[in-house]
Amino acid sequence: MRALKRLLAFLISLLILSAAVFWIARLAPGDPLASYYGERAEKMSPQQRAQAEADLGLDRPIHVQYIRWLRNALHGDFGISFKYKTDVWQVIRGRAGNTLLLGGLGFVLIFSLALGLGILCAWFEDRPLDRIVCKAGTVLSCVPEFWLSLLLILIFAVYLRVLPSSGAWSIGDGGSAGDRARHLILPMTVVVAGHLWYYAYMIRNRLLEEVRADYVLLARSEGLAKRSILFRHCLRNAIPSYLSIMAIAVPHIMGGTYIVETVFSYPGLGTLSYESARYQDYNLLMVLCLLSGAVVILCNMLAQAVNERIDPRIRARQAVEEVSDRG
Amino acid sequence: MEKLLQVEHLSVTFDGPAGTVEAVRDVSFDLAPGEILAIVGESGCGKSVLCKALMKLLPSNARTGAERLTVDGADIRSFGERAMQKLRGRVFSMVFQDPMTSLDPTYTVGAQIAEAVLVHQPKLSKEQVRRRVLELLALVGVDQPEARAKLYPYDLSGGQRQRVVLAVALAGRPKLLIADEPTTALDVTVQAQILDLMRDIQKKLGTATILVTHDLGVVARAADRVAVMYAGRIVETGTAEEIFADSRHPYTWGLLRSLPSLAAPGQPLYAIPGMPPTLSPPPKGDAFACRNRYALAIDYDQAPPMFRVTDTHFAATWLLDPRAPKVDPGAFEPDTGPAGAAPRHAPPAGEALLDVRHLGCSFRLTKDRSLRAVDDVSFQIRAGEIFGLVGESGSGKSTLARCVMNILRPQSGQIVYKGVDVCDPARARAHRRLLRQDRQIIFQDSASSLDPRMKVADIIAEPMAVNHITPPRGTLREEAAFQLRYVGMDPVYLDKYPPELSGGQRQRVAIARALAMEPSLLVADEPVAALDVSIQAQIINLFKHLQAEHGFTFLFIAHDLAVVRYLCDRVGVLYQGKLVELAPTEELFARPRHPYTKALLAAIPIPDPRRERGRPLFSFDGTCLGAQSVFAQVAPGHFVLGSGEPEAAT
Repeated sequence: MRALKRLLAFLISLLILSAAVFWIARLAPGDPLASYYGERAEKMSPQQRAQAEADLGLDRPIHVQYIRWLRNALHGDFGISFKYKTDVWQVIRGRAGNTLLLGGLGFVLIFSLALGLGILCAWFEDRPLDRIVCKAGTVLSCVPEFWLSLLLILIFAVYLRVLPSSGAWSIGDGGSAGDRARHLILPMTVVVAGHLWYYAYMIRNRLLEEVRADYVLLARSEGLAKRSILFRHCLRNAIPSYLSIMAIAVPHIMGGTYIVETVFSYPGLGTLSYESARYQDYNLLMVLCLLSGAVVILCNMLAQAVNERIDPRIRARQAVEEVSDRG
Repeated sequence: MEKLLQVEHLSVTFDGPAGTVEAVRDVSFDLAPGEILAIVGESGCGKSVLCKALMKLLPSNARTGAERLTVDGADIRSFGERAMQKLRGRVFSMVFQDPMTSLDPTYTVGAQIAEAVLVHQPKLSKEQVRRRVLELLALVGVDQPEARAKLYPYDLSGGQRQRVVLAVALAGRPKLLIADEPTTALDVTVQAQILDLMRDIQKKLGTATILVTHDLGVVARAADRVAVMYAGRIVETGTAEEIFADSRHPYTWGLLRSLPSLAAPGQPLYAIPGMPPTLSPPPKGDAFACRNRYALAIDYDQAPPMFRVTDTHFAATWLLDPRAPKVDPGAFEPDTGPAGAAPRHAPPAGEALLDVRHLGCSFRLTKDRSLRAVDDVSFQIRAGEIFGLVGESGSGKSTLARCVMNILRPQSGQIVYKGVDVCDPARARAHRRLLRQDRQIIFQDSASSLDPRMKVADIIAEPMAVNHITPPRGTLREEAAFQLRYVGMDPVYLDKYPPELSGGQRQRVAIARALAMEPSLLVADEPVAALDVSIQAQIINLFKHLQAEHGFTFLFIAHDLAVVRYLCDRVGVLYQGKLVELAPTEELFARPRHPYTKALLAAIPIPDPRRERGRPLFSFDGTCLGAQSVFAQVAPGHFVLGSGEPEAAT
């Protein structure tokens, strides 16, 4: 029952998103014909333009276009990309792997590094290491990603010439693993450096919150060592909220990845989204937006589910709070 | 006999942003094996800090100095964290106030006890640990230990949880158990059980105990020796009998007199005037001097030394100096509040201001389980009456108050206020202006019910401002100043923020805010439960005084009977959502009918060690609550929930 409700909410959210994107894209200035016909579009006569628009179905009122798109979409037909003139899924399939590599690996790195760094900072609370990490983190998380990207490109690609400045592989080189890895270093650094600190800081504070709890005092007064208290008790209490935060973090990191891709001309979904929005490649834009939206909504739902599942207290506590007289 | 613990000239200071706080000042005491020492004092007197200093559990901004600190023959002054780890649990361990937070919520209680067992005996086999855990659970009086060990802390009641905490603390067979307010967070009827358990354990295992508490009643039941702390110092120490029968320090007199159970019916409660001093820096001379009506000139200048009364009894007061005038603590005059409490007229017999009819309110816990927090409760409160509602946690008393205030909507029943059924949304909306201004509520926790970012003046004036009421005394600020003076506070506090005030002061501000609206009905939900005894008495006296002046109708909610005795005209006793007894106060105290009321009355500690210790516990298991729920009148105005047949007079 609950799962059904959630599925319904998910579908409704996607429907609203698709309508919003559909309308906004068509109201935005720009010439969709340019992405289909390229430079030819500029030389067309008004009659030819009208004919071309009719061919692409762009001459109808927006709601009619939307309903037609929706009907096709429900049959699995999301149309063709104006620019690439092939099925949108084919275009996306070619790029998704790259993004998954950059974003997925970035997420795993952020997740584990933040956990380690957070524990380290909590352990050395208020000592130099903790202070440096917190200060550096505050500065780094304030730096915009595109600026950091340009800075790194300038240093490592332009001055030092040790790393490539753009792309996912070198031209000519068929994409050997080493070459791909070299291309990943700079974008990956930006993705991780932009997000790591916030989550490390969050796990540090959560741990310290737990350290101040009474049960730690009891554990200490029974003679338990600091290490076992931190790992066995505090971490276990802090992990559920960390997991749910990290589930919400997926969309943020995804957004960061898109920006980084664009700056590094990395052929992933981010660059593709940027292009499709820039050149009014409506069908492609729709699918990319829906795909990103689905990830965001799914992650939020996952976070909620994680919260409820892992920590049975939340359910029990809700019940207790309602009855408890003393508040 | 070899002493287990010797403390000489122990001091603890904290470096804080507002300067150095001297939390514990020059404290000396010792403890023999198997002895129970109670350390008594109000909040902020340094008693908890003292305990943590003994176990070296203080945060890093604390500095401890002592001339001697010996535990079990070892001088622990120079011990580091690693050396202390070996002592903790095995030589001494600690029990904390709040059993809700002192267990890790993510492990079963069995696992937590097992962990404590394994710390000191890591070589035990699984089966041995399991047996030891069950043994410990049985020792602390948990029935069905096998089943209970598999439960998580949130599955257990507060009393059960405190028993588990005790089991954890006893896992390493410590010689010294330090219990920091172990019963404060528990219901009165559970409190006595835990105290008896601690005495039991002391007898069985010979564990010495330091029992820290603010409640002298608790001390009488459990302690061999007592040390009274005030403003970081021990001001009096002696055997329990000596302290209760022959105390010498004026502060101890004040504490004893403030106990609600000692007050004669109808007499104002005794309240120690003033408030404890701040300890950064501590006042010159005797810190208690400014609250001491017998203070001598020297008290303001020089701190008194410990005078010997007997070999076991010492007190730090200049009154024991041979040159001091003799004073008689028996002639202690009660402090009666601002203008002297008016003599209480007979309970008004007028019309009902509030009429609660068959009120029922329940909460859904899970899909198929719900809890009836308030179950078919009916009573009336007459205009100008002080009505007390008593019940333990979970009895539904706060739910009832919230229903009366339209904060919660009950599922069934009616609440008629001045002829308006407030449970009917349409009727309540139509009269919302009247209802909003006419009824005011005061909550238990003044720290969270006052906005910490608003000044006192704005807090008091806010209800007038939002209701667009022209203040009768000029500006809103003048009105706030007037109301503040009215509750016994100086208008200089108008520009302070709540966190700068003490608990008692904050509660006074909350009262001023409620009274600024000139309400006809004031609801107070446990307004004194979070306050120290002496402050508690001040606030209750203030309520009495204000009610006599204003004549508002007062619904006063409390969890123990002792508090309501002086204040209320009539008392209703709630148990698990049901009103089990309702009677005029004196009638209820003199002739309680319902077994639960009897249990509650029996749970009020008597501050006399000889009488208190032998007293059997009166427990109530709720079995007599069943289908036979008839709310019958047994005497004029005295109603009892029971089988319906008039029982023989007791």
